[in-house]
Amino acid sequence: MRYLLRQLGLYILAAWASLTLNFIVPRLAPGDPASAMFARYKGQLQPEALAALREAFGFTGGPLHEQYAAYLAHLFRGDLGVSVAYFPAKVTDVLAMGLGWTALLTGSSVVVAFALGSLLGVIAAWRRGGAFDATLPPLLVFLGAFPYFWLAMMLLYGFGFTLDVLPLRHAYADTLAPSMSFSFVASVVEHLLLPATSIVLASVGGWMLSMRSSMIGVLAEDYVTMAHAKGLSPLRIMFHYAARNALLPNVTGFGMALGFVLGGSLLTEIVFSYPGQGYLLVQAVRSQDYPLMQGIFLTITMAVLAANFLVDVLYVWLDPRTRGR
Amino acid sequence: MTRLRWPRRRFLAATLLAPLASACSGRRGGARRDPGGVLTVSTEQQASWVRNFNPLLAPGNIRWPTRAGIYEPLFIYDTMGGKVVPWLSSGFTWGPDKRTLHCTLRPGVTWSDGQPFTADDVVFTFEILQRHKALDLFGVWSFLDDVRATGPDIVVFSLNKQYVPGLVYLGHQPIVPRHVWRDVPDPVTFTNERPVATGPFTEITVFQNQVYELGRNPRYWQPGKPALRGLRFPAYPGNDQATLALLHGEVDWAGNFVPDVERIFVARDPAHHHYWFPLVGGTVMLYPNAARAPLSDERVRKAISMSIDRALLVKVAMYGYTRAADATGLHDGYARFRSPEAAAAGDWITHDMDRAGKLLDEAGYPRRADGLRASAEGTPLTLDVHVVTGWSDWIRAAQIIAQGLRTLGVTSAARAYDFSAFFEKLQKGAFDLSLGWSSDEPTPYHFYRDLMGTATLRPLGEPAARNWHRFGSEEADVLLAAFEGAADEREEMRLSHALERLFATRAPVIPLFPNPSWAAFNTRHFEGFPSAQDPYAKPSPYSAPECLLVLTRLTPRGA
Repeated sequence: MRYLLRQLGLYILAAWASLTLNFIVPRLAPGDPASAMFARYKGQLQPEALAALREAFGFTGGPLHEQYAAYLAHLFRGDLGVSVAYFPAKVTDVLAMGLGWTALLTGSSVVVAFALGSLLGVIAAWRRGGAFDATLPPLLVFLGAFPYFWLAMMLLYGFGFTLDVLPLRHAYADTLAPSMSFSFVASVVEHLLLPATSIVLASVGGWMLSMRSSMIGVLAEDYVTMAHAKGLSPLRIMFHYAARNALLPNVTGFGMALGFVLGGSLLTEIVFSYPGQGYLLVQAVRSQDYPLMQGIFLTITMAVLAANFLVDVLYVWLDPRTRGR
Repeated sequence: MTRLRWPRRRFLAATLLAPLASACSGRRGGARRDPGGVLTVSTEQQASWVRNFNPLLAPGNIRWPTRAGIYEPLFIYDTMGGKVVPWLSSGFTWGPDKRTLHCTLRPGVTWSDGQPFTADDVVFTFEILQRHKALDLFGVWSFLDDVRATGPDIVVFSLNKQYVPGLVYLGHQPIVPRHVWRDVPDPVTFTNERPVATGPFTEITVFQNQVYELGRNPRYWQPGKPALRGLRFPAYPGNDQATLALLHGEVDWAGNFVPDVERIFVARDPAHHHYWFPLVGGTVMLYPNAARAPLSDERVRKAISMSIDRALLVKVAMYGYTRAADATGLHDGYARFRSPEAAAAGDWITHDMDRAGKLLDEAGYPRRADGLRASAEGTPLTLDVHVVTGWSDWIRAAQIIAQGLRTLGVTSAARAYDFSAFFEKLQKGAFDLSLGWSSDEPTPYHFYRDLMGTATLRPLGEPAARNWHRFGSEEADVLLAAFEGAADEREEMRLSHALERLFATRAPVIPLFPNPSWAAFNTRHFEGFPSAQDPYAKPSPYSAPECLLVLTRLTPRGA
């Protein structure tokens, strides 16, 4: 428990530091939102409008420390301000649009890739040198090393465009209204298949390799030999003795991956027109939309911290040594 | 993305898509369901839609049809025909001193809630602009004194100076209903989720984050119109997704760039797949910073222009969709203003390395023994070309330009910056050469004001909304002032020719090519799109309010 409390303190410090960075970094970028917006109109707006726009977005300035104080105060009230790119929508409303879809898409793909990769790694290490071990890891690594954009485009082109068996875009059929009905959920799953598969294909190789190598290390340990000598069943040795210990490094990686889920998979979302958070981030950067950028970074930061805390808790359960201290 | 608005952004995938798509059999070209009279349009590129139909808020994230289908202006400038089409106003006349504009409103127009449309609505709309500077995007109150209703159907605009070119800004302002908007506390942040308007499509029938649909206005003032039952807008986050949907037969009217359009789009279904890319999308320029040393010399600017192989530029950077610009810089929308003598006077627009070299010799930058050019003090002549990351056609153009300059003995490279950084440098004058777009209005007045007038001139380091290259000519100022009070089109013609000659003599900027207005059509279910044979409007769906001309003309096939 003390271990967890200490970790919690550390996380609060990390949260403050990242909030501050979150405030500073966008302000170091060149340009300002009004001129980015002005430029979007390519000669259709009159120069007079520029000053008026700056005024409307409240970009008249003020000393940095005052901006910082206002930023923190608003943050505690859950007020992330008004988005510039989606003016006059509130940042919280804009985030709400993409957050759920991103969590669904990236979250499910990370969990599947982790579970599948780890399992395949365990099997490959257990039968190392066998046919399975000789073919699958190189194949998956090969897929993972593909430029992701290309892999995703090929999947989209093959299954969506040429074969026409899976939808080309979006998170659900355009003809349905979001509801909890069976047809809507089925449509969401159907639309999830292609983008999720692309992420799993691209990342499963990494999980498998790291699991395989740490598993091989563990299999050489004395207690595994001991377990064999005791005549325990191979399945019990494989999962309870070896895999449980070999999983630790992968769990750390899983925590990180889970944390970055809310960052979205930018390329996936763009290729499959998935209405998630990754695309919002691009839009925010392009339009110099500080409030939206801060909102997105905030959710990412919080997710990373929360995921790491979750991993700490998992560690306490997986590794008894952490409980003693 | 937001409307437009980078019609020319396309990443690696666009080039990837081309061979793939053409390899496909095309058997699903028209496999989509019967649209039932609902036209699918692809204009804005967005991953998901935010509900906002505030027509006064152009730079906010408003949905495209707000200014081009839901709300309507007093009149519409038809770029292709070069004429003003009366819309909510049936006609206008200038007062004798050209300082008042009398507009007669069309009788029998009602708002979609049944209330009559009157002069009070027009006056009220302009009053909102006066109160909220952020909504006065075209700066109409910089030349307006007063807007008054002198009868239920007469509006009089009083100007504080003679300013004929301002006509288009008054005419293109979408008009909002007073009886609804007078209760809106802050029109700047108002999202107007249920619009009451005069346009052909006012009913929001579906609104989801991925798609929305508009239904027709039951009380539209043009009898029997619109013939379409509605409009449908699926969200496509980028050009590739929009192109894919177009090839798949899901989109009827698209404004996105399509690479190698004949092969990948038309060839799939020649009977129904059509496109029209008229050269009315503004002229792409190479801006030479006249506030910096060598480029203040017009001989250097002309030499740079002559080092550019525009034929190659058009072929390689623009897929042959355009032509080389002439020495007036005017695109085809200004065709009737273009003076052939002025164009011929600018001999610095043709590709001629020998003469370019001679001009640089004269300007004091001879070739050294190592082949590079340097000033008398020995400073090498270095001119980099700024361009935006990801705008692949512009990047290719910048590389061709830099290559030409290197052949000339000038040290040069194409430098791609992220859009905001690029634009900041452009506005503050922190560049030697930069690619950029130019103003696009009904007459060449604004075009030349922003390229040669001193009114928009700012010192280096201070952001300039226009005239990024910092070139000002008092001779141009005189002509521009005369243009503001021009009595008729003949006078405008004469002044435009004089401005063109001045431009062709001084070479303040280096015109590259006119940009096409991108438009692709699928005529399987609808007909009546503008074309070269029937050029009744600018064909791009993103050119508001001109799209109203198209939306009221289209009909479902067989109807």
